[in-house]
Amino acid sequence: MTPLLALIRKEFASLFGSSLAYVALTVAALVTALTFFDHLRLYNQVLFAYASTTMGGFASDSIPDYINLWDLVFFPVMEQLGLTFLAAIPLVTMRVFAEERSRGTDELLLSTKLTPNQIVLAKFFVTFAFVVLMMAVSFIYPATAITRGGLGVEHLAAVFTGLTLHAIGLASIGLTCSAFSRSQLVSAISGWAIAFILWDFGWMQPFVSEGVANVLDAFSLHPRYGAFSEGVVSLANVVYFASLAIVAFGLARFSFDLRRVG
Amino acid sequence: MQEVTAAIDALGLTRRFVDHTALDALTLQVPRNETFGLLGANGAGKTTFIRLVTGFLLPTDGEVTVDGISPSANPAGVRARVGFVMETSRLYPELRVDAFLRFAAGAHGLSGKPRGDAIERVVERFSIGDVLRRHIGNLSKGYQQRVSLAQAFLHDPSVVIVDEPTSGLDPLQREDVHAILGALRGERTVLISTHDLAEARSLTSRVAVLHAGRLVTQGPTEQVLDSNRALSLFEAPEAGLT
Repeated sequence: MTPLLALIRKEFASLFGSSLAYVALTVAALVTALTFFDHLRLYNQVLFAYASTTMGGFASDSIPDYINLWDLVFFPVMEQLGLTFLAAIPLVTMRVFAEERSRGTDELLLSTKLTPNQIVLAKFFVTFAFVVLMMAVSFIYPATAITRGGLGVEHLAAVFTGLTLHAIGLASIGLTCSAFSRSQLVSAISGWAIAFILWDFGWMQPFVSEGVANVLDAFSLHPRYGAFSEGVVSLANVVYFASLAIVAFGLARFSFDLRRVG
Repeated sequence: MQEVTAAIDALGLTRRFVDHTALDALTLQVPRNETFGLLGANGAGKTTFIRLVTGFLLPTDGEVTVDGISPSANPAGVRARVGFVMETSRLYPELRVDAFLRFAAGAHGLSGKPRGDAIERVVERFSIGDVLRRHIGNLSKGYQQRVSLAQAFLHDPSVVIVDEPTSGLDPLQREDVHAILGALRGERTVLISTHDLAEARSLTSRVAVLHAGRLVTQGPTEQVLDSNRALSLFEAPEAGLT
C-alpha cells in the first residue's frame, strides 16, 4: 500500500502544484454561474412579462405550468453543463499519462516498487476525485434552482450522482486517450472526438434500422445523463458509467503492456 | 585469470522494434562492484539495453539478469536491487525537493522512520539539504542531477544505472557530478551510459562499446579507450567487432 499511497499523494501535489487545477475549477464555476444567471434572467423576464400582462399578477393561476424554475432554468443549465464538461474534462485528463510519457518520468515510476496496476489506479483515483470536486463547485447554482423549485433532497442527490457519473465517464475516455499518447494535444483532441461521438447517437435514427438505432442508443452518454436530471437513478445507467470506467482502466493498463513489447 | 562475478548478465539479448533492431544478440557482463561504462553514439542501443535491464522493455530474444534475477520474470525483485538515475529533465519540476524525495521513498516501499532515515542519508550524501524546500524546476541542472542521484539511492540498491549523467550540464556541474560518481567506485555496481569518452575514462574501470545495437568491444577502460583506437570504435566499428 505504501507505494500506492505515495503516488496518490504525489499526484495530488502535482495537480494542485500547477495552475491547471485552479484554472479548471475557476472556469467550471464561472461557466456554470454565467449559464445559471443567464437562464435565471430569462426566467424572470418571462415571469414579469406574464405578471404585467395579467390582472392577477404572481398570485394568480394565470402563469402557465411550463413557466417554472425546472423547465426554464434547471434543465437547460444541466444540458449546457453536460456539454461544457464534455469540452472541459479532456483538458483536465490530457496531461495525466501523456505528460509522464513525454518527459520520461513513467520510467522513473516503473523503476520503483510501483506496478502498472497501481500507477493506473492512482491516476484514475486522483482524476476522478478532482472531477467530483469540479462537479461540486459547478453544482452550487443548479442545486439552488432545484431546492427553490420545490424538489427534494432525493432529487438533488440523483442529479448530482448523474452529473458526477457523467464527468467520470468523460474522464475515463480522456484518461484512455492520455494513456495511448505522449502528446497532450493529441490526447485532448482524441478525447473530445470520442466524447462527441458517444454523446448522442440519436441523429443516426433516420438512417439506420430500429434495431441498430436501439443498440447505438445504448452507447449514448446523453440519454443516460438526462435520466438522472429527471431524478431517476437507474441501475442500468449506473452500470453504463461504471463499465466505461472499468474498460478505460483496462485499456490504460494495457497501454503499459503494449509499451513493453511494442 | 580471476573469475568475474557479473551483477548484470546479458546473453544473446535482442530487441527489435517494428522497423529496426535496436539491440542485436548482445552478450555482456557487468562485473559486481565495478563502475562500468556503456559507450556508443546516439542510437547505438545504450538506452534500449538499460530499459531491458530495468524491465521497462521486454526482450525479443535472449535474456538479461540482475544479480541472477530476470526483470521479465520478477520485475519487483530487480527494482528492489536497482537504482535508476535518469537525465535531469526527467523529474517533476512542480514538486519541491523534499516532497519528491518523500514520494520516491514511499514508491520504493519505505514508510515511517526508515523513510525519514533514508531521506536524511541521501540528503547528506548528495549535499542537497539547502535546496529541500525549493521546486525542482527552479534548481540548476547540477542540483537537479544530485536530486536524481539521491532518489536512486533511497532504497540502498546494489546496482545503480546512470543514463547520460552529464547531459546538458556546464563544465563545473559536470565536474561536480563526476566527483559524486567517482566516490561510488568500488562501493557498488554502477552502469553508466554515455557517449563522452573523457567521462568514461575518468569514471569507469571497464567499458563496452555498442554500435547499431551490436557489441563492438569490451574490456578494461584504458585498454579499450586507447587514444589511437577510441574514435575508430565509433566511426568504423565493423573492423573491431568481437
